Amino acid sequence: MNKTFCLLIALFLTGMGFAQGPPILTGTPVMLGLEGNGLRTFGKLILKEEGFVYVQPLGIPYNISPKFQVGGILPFKYVKPGEAEAASGLTDASVFAKYQIFKRDGRAKTFRILAKVQHTFPSGNTLSSPPIGAGIHQTYVGFVAGRISSSIGLYSDFGYVFTSRKAADRFLYNFGVSLPLLPPKYPQKQLNTLLELNGSYLVPLDLHTLFLSPGIQFIPGRRILFEASFQIPVLFRTRFNIIDSNKTRYVVLLGTRFLLH
Amino acid sequence: MKSFLKSTLPVNLVFVLLSLFFSILSANAQAPQEEQRVYIKVEIFGLACPYCAYGMEQDLLQLAGVDKVDIQLKEGLAYLSTPVEQKPGKKEIAKVVEDGGFTVGKIEYSDKPFE
Repeated sequence: MNKTFCLLIALFLTGMGFAQGPPILTGTPVMLGLEGNGLRTFGKLILKEEGFVYVQPLGIPYNISPKFQVGGILPFKYVKPGEAEAASGLTDASVFAKYQIFKRDGRAKTFRILAKVQHTFPSGNTLSSPPIGAGIHQTYVGFVAGRISSSIGLYSDFGYVFTSRKAADRFLYNFGVSLPLLPPKYPQKQLNTLLELNGSYLVPLDLHTLFLSPGIQFIPGRRILFEASFQIPVLFRTRFNIIDSNKTRYVVLLGTRFLLH
Repeated sequence: MKSFLKSTLPVNLVFVLLSLFFSILSANAQAPQEEQRVYIKVEIFGLACPYCAYGMEQDLLQLAGVDKVDIQLKEGLAYLSTPVEQKPGKKEIAKVVEDGGFTVGKIEYSDKPFE
């Protein structure tokens, strides 16, 4: 693991010195360009100890003003639990709102903080076997912060998920570093490398999970972006006995973002 | 043959001269008058990533008379030009930049393209 980590860091540092793109799994406080008034979708394949889950959300953000963004996320889910039969369908839909509470701009750099609220409805089918939806209301309240310059992008978000019916409330946190492989020019093709840490802490289960997620992004033009990320679990700690079959082995993500106008 | 050429030569000559005169006249009429333009340099703070520049470019293109915007990301500058009679005011440009989610700096005008 240490060798892999060192190799990833070494690969990552080769990109230092240029401009960067938006993070893949961490929130960004910049609600412009490919982060606003566009479409985002990705296919996420979660390989478990037994079976796998495929999720394909479609996110549509809309900028009401440069400071205020709202949006919706409609995900499709396919669950194949080991030897058992698979189930698929539209899963729990979400709506979100982000508001910029702090902005400090400089020449080719910016530092911004947003407040974010997201509500997930129990719209997915819970009667299927395995269930597609969680069957509970979930409300995320958190913050997104980032310092972005033409040479490096540092991103973070953290927040708490309140669940209905006293289900597993959790604390979520993400950190991301984004570095470019090409000089900061506009417009031009961009190739960005990313390294992210994605953590969650399920309060009732005392379960702490952490993923290390290297990623890559290709922006061939002004309006479209392609991205890929690979999530490796680096921490899975709890004082309870968790069923091993539910443990994630790794996650592969392939996605795109497209500006509507 | 000789007599034919002799008789038609003056007519042809007149024709040639007339068509030459009219072609010069029409060419002058069609030649675009050199448009006087004003060149504008806008300092934009917060423009940190190439993917953010798209929105700013589109917003600046909405200004009347602007048909091309050149964004220099590293310097945080946008260059644009408009016909003199459509020259946008500093307040108008500043509003476009601020509404686009960035902070405006110095705005300079010039009658020649910036180096």
